[in-house]
Amino acid sequence: MSASGDRRRASLASRGMQFAFVVILVGVWYLGTTYGGISPILLPNPVAVYHELMDVLATGEFVGDLRVTLMELVTAFSISSTVGVTLGYLISRSQYSIRVFEPLFAGMYSVPVILFLPLYILFFGLGPASKIALGVTTSFFPIILNTIAGFGYVDRIFVLSARSMGASKFQLLRWVLLPAALPIILTGFRIGFTVALLSILGSETIASLAGLGHRIVQLGEGMDTARMFAYIAFVVVIALILNMAVSTLEARAKRP
Amino acid sequence: MTMEPGTVPARPNRTAWQRIKKWFLARPGAARLVVILLLFIAWEIAARFFVDKIFLSPPSVVFTSLDTVFETNGVPRALEISASEILVAFLMSVAIGLIVGLSVGLNRFSHRSFMPIILLLYGTPQITILPLFILYFGIGPASKIAFGVSHGIFPIIVTIVAGVQNIKPILITSAKSMGASRWHIFRWVIFPHMIPSFFAGMRLGMTGVLLGVLLAELYVSTAGIGYFTSLFTQSFNPTKLLGLISVLAAMAIGLNEIVRRAELHYSRWRMN
Amino acid sequence: MNDIAVKVRNVSHQFGEQGESLHVRALLDTSLDIARGELLCLIGPSGCGKSTLLNVIGGLLEPTTGTVHVGNTQVKGPLPQQVAYVFQENALFPWSTVIQNVKLGMMFQGVARTEREPRARKSLAAVGLADFADHYPGQLSGGMRQRAALARALSLETEIILMDEPFGALDEQTRMVLGEDLSALLSQTGKTIIFVTHSLGEAVFLADRVAVFSARPGTIKEIIAVEEPHPRKPAFMTSEKFTLLRNQLYSLLHDEIRKAVMQSTASERAAASGRGTGKGAPS
Repeated sequence: MSASGDRRRASLASRGMQFAFVVILVGVWYLGTTYGGISPILLPNPVAVYHELMDVLATGEFVGDLRVTLMELVTAFSISSTVGVTLGYLISRSQYSIRVFEPLFAGMYSVPVILFLPLYILFFGLGPASKIALGVTTSFFPIILNTIAGFGYVDRIFVLSARSMGASKFQLLRWVLLPAALPIILTGFRIGFTVALLSILGSETIASLAGLGHRIVQLGEGMDTARMFAYIAFVVVIALILNMAVSTLEARAKRP
Repeated sequence: MTMEPGTVPARPNRTAWQRIKKWFLARPGAARLVVILLLFIAWEIAARFFVDKIFLSPPSVVFTSLDTVFETNGVPRALEISASEILVAFLMSVAIGLIVGLSVGLNRFSHRSFMPIILLLYGTPQITILPLFILYFGIGPASKIAFGVSHGIFPIIVTIVAGVQNIKPILITSAKSMGASRWHIFRWVIFPHMIPSFFAGMRLGMTGVLLGVLLAELYVSTAGIGYFTSLFTQSFNPTKLLGLISVLAAMAIGLNEIVRRAELHYSRWRMN
Repeated sequence: MNDIAVKVRNVSHQFGEQGESLHVRALLDTSLDIARGELLCLIGPSGCGKSTLLNVIGGLLEPTTGTVHVGNTQVKGPLPQQVAYVFQENALFPWSTVIQNVKLGMMFQGVARTEREPRARKSLAAVGLADFADHYPGQLSGGMRQRAALARALSLETEIILMDEPFGALDEQTRMVLGEDLSALLSQTGKTIIFVTHSLGEAVFLADRVAVFSARPGTIKEIIAVEEPHPRKPAFMTSEKFTLLRNQLYSLLHDEIRKAVMQSTASERAAASGRGTGKGAPS
C-alpha cells in the first residue's frame, strides 16, 4: 500500500464521518418531528423550515430588517474605524504614550461590552442609535489596539532610514508608517467588523424595534418557530457571507 | 574647558516642573491612573452640568447610592444567582471542553473528522439562537447556564486541541527512544505541554461564559438581572442602572483577572 | 581646509544618566578629521561606540558634548543633501519594489519627480541590479539587497556616504565581491565614505585609513594608513603589505576585544540578577 494511497483513504474516511454526522443529525431531526410527535412549536419540521425560508426569500420580507441591521453595522464600523485609527495613530507617536494608553484599552477587553447596552437604551432609546452605539463600543477596541501595535512597532530602522534621507513627518506617515502598519490594522478591521456584527445582532435580540435579531425574537414570541428557524438560517448565512467578504478583502489588501 | 579624563559633564539643575515631568515619565502606570481620574472627572462634570438627570448620573452619586441598589428588593438574589450561573457554566465548560478537546486532539481521525465541524460551530453567531435556548430551557438559570456553556466550550476545545497538536515531535520521539509507554508519553510529555494551553483556553472560556450568561440574563426581562436592568431603564433611573452595571462589571473583571493570573502562573516555563 | 569633509571635535556621548540602570558611556572625547574622497574605516570591539559615532556624524543622534562639522555646517540633525546612509540589512522597505525604494529616497530628499526615474536607473545599473528593478526586496538575496541599499544611497548624489556594517549579515564570499565593487565605485565617484566594520580583512582591503577604537567608553586608539590606490584588486589581499597591516590591526584590537567581552559578561550577570528579583515583565 502506498503512503499517498493511505492518506487519501484516511481523508476520505474522515469526510465520510463528517457526512454521516450531518446526515444523522438532519435525519434524527426529520424523523423526530415527522413521526416522533415533537411539538412543532418546540422543534419545527425541517421541511416546514425550508418552505418558510423559500417564502421569506421569495416575498422579500427580509429586506426591511436586513437593511436596518446592515445600516447599523456600516455606521458603527465607519465611526469606530475612523476614530480608532486616528486616535491609535496619535497614541503611537511616542513610546511613552503607548505605555500609558495601551494597557488601558487592553484592560477594557475584560469588561463584557454587552453591559453597556442598557445604558445606551436609556440614553438613545430602542431605535438604531443604541445598536450603533454598542457596535461602535465593541469594535473600537480591537481597531485601536491593532492600530497602536501597527504604527507603534514599525521597525526602527525604516524610520531612521527615511529620516536620514530627509523625509518630512507627512512623508514618513504616508510612505513608511502606513504601508508598514497596514497588515496589522487590516486585521484589526476584520476583527472589529466581526464583533460589531455580533454585538448589533445581540442588541437587536435583547431590546429593539427592528432588525434581523428583533425579527427572530418576534417570531419566537409569536410561536412561529418554523419561520423563526428560517430566519436563523438566513442570518447565519448572511454572517458567513459578510465574514468571508471581510477576510477576502483583508487578504487582498495585504498582498504587495 | 578642561575635563577630568573619563567623565562626561553633568546636566544643569532642573525646575520643579521638569522634575514632576521626569517623575511621571518614569512611571507610565501613574500617568495612566491620572488619565482614568480625568475620565471620571469628565463624567462627573458632564453628568452634573450638561446632561439631563434622567439620562446620566455622576459617579459621585452612583457610587454613594450603591446601597440603594442592593436594598432594591430582589437585586442581591439576582446577583447571587447570576454569579452561581457563571461558576456552574464555567465548570461545565471546562469539563466538557477538556474531554472533547483531548479526544479530538489526541486522535488523528477524530481530529480530521470533527475539527471542521467544531470550527464551523465556533464561527456561527450563537446570539441568533438565544430565543431558542429560552424556549427550551425556560427563563430560569438553566437557560443561562446552557447559553454560557455553549459559548465557553469552543475556545477551550480549540486551545486544548492546539496545545496537544503543537508538541514538537522530537519530544515524543526522544521519550519513545527511552522506552516510554503510551501512558507515560501522555502523562509526562503531552499533559505538561498542554497545561499552558489549557489555562489559556480557560481564560478565553471564562470570557465566553461571561458573555453567554450575561446575554441570556439581559434578554430575559421578566426575571433575574434582566428584570432589573429593564426596570431601571424604563423608569429612567440611571443612578441605579449604572450602579448595577458597575457591580456586574466589577464581578466580570474580577473573574477574568483570576483566570488570567492562573494562566500566567502556570505558563512560566514557556519562553516568549 | 576644503580638503576636510568632516570634522569631529571632542565628541562624547552617554546614554541615560549617571546612576540609572541604563547608563552607558558610549564615546569619550573623540576627535577626527575625515578627508574629502577618502574611505575611512571605524573598527573596534562590540559596544565601543563606533556606530554611535557614525550616527552622531549623520545627525541621527545629538552628542552629549562635542561638535561635528560637515563642510562648514555644524551637524544638528540629518543632512539629507550631504549625507546618505547604508544600514546593515533590512532598511529597504519590503512593501515597495527595488526601484520604488530608490525613488522614495529621492522623494524624501526633495529631488524633482522627472529626475527620479533616470537617476534611479543609473544607480541601479552602477551596482549591477538593472534587471531587478521591479523585484521586491523579499525576492532578492542578502547581497543584492545591500546593493540596492547602496544604489539608493548613490542616487541621492550626496558627497558623503555612511555605512554601518553594511556587509555584516552576508556570507564571506558575497562580502569579498561586494567589497571589490565598492572599491571600484569609490575610485569612479570620488565620494567620501565612512565605513563601520568588525572585519579586520575588510577594513584593510577597503580603507584608506583605519581608525581603531578602544573598548567602552570608546575613543580612538590609533589611526592606521593603508597606502594603496583604488580600485583595489583581489591580489592585494594576498600581498605581504596586507598581512602586515592586518596583523598590526589585530595586535591593536586584541586587548580591547578581551576587555569588551568581560564588560558584556559583567552586564549580563547584573541584568540576570535584576530579572531574578522579579522586576520587569510588564503585564
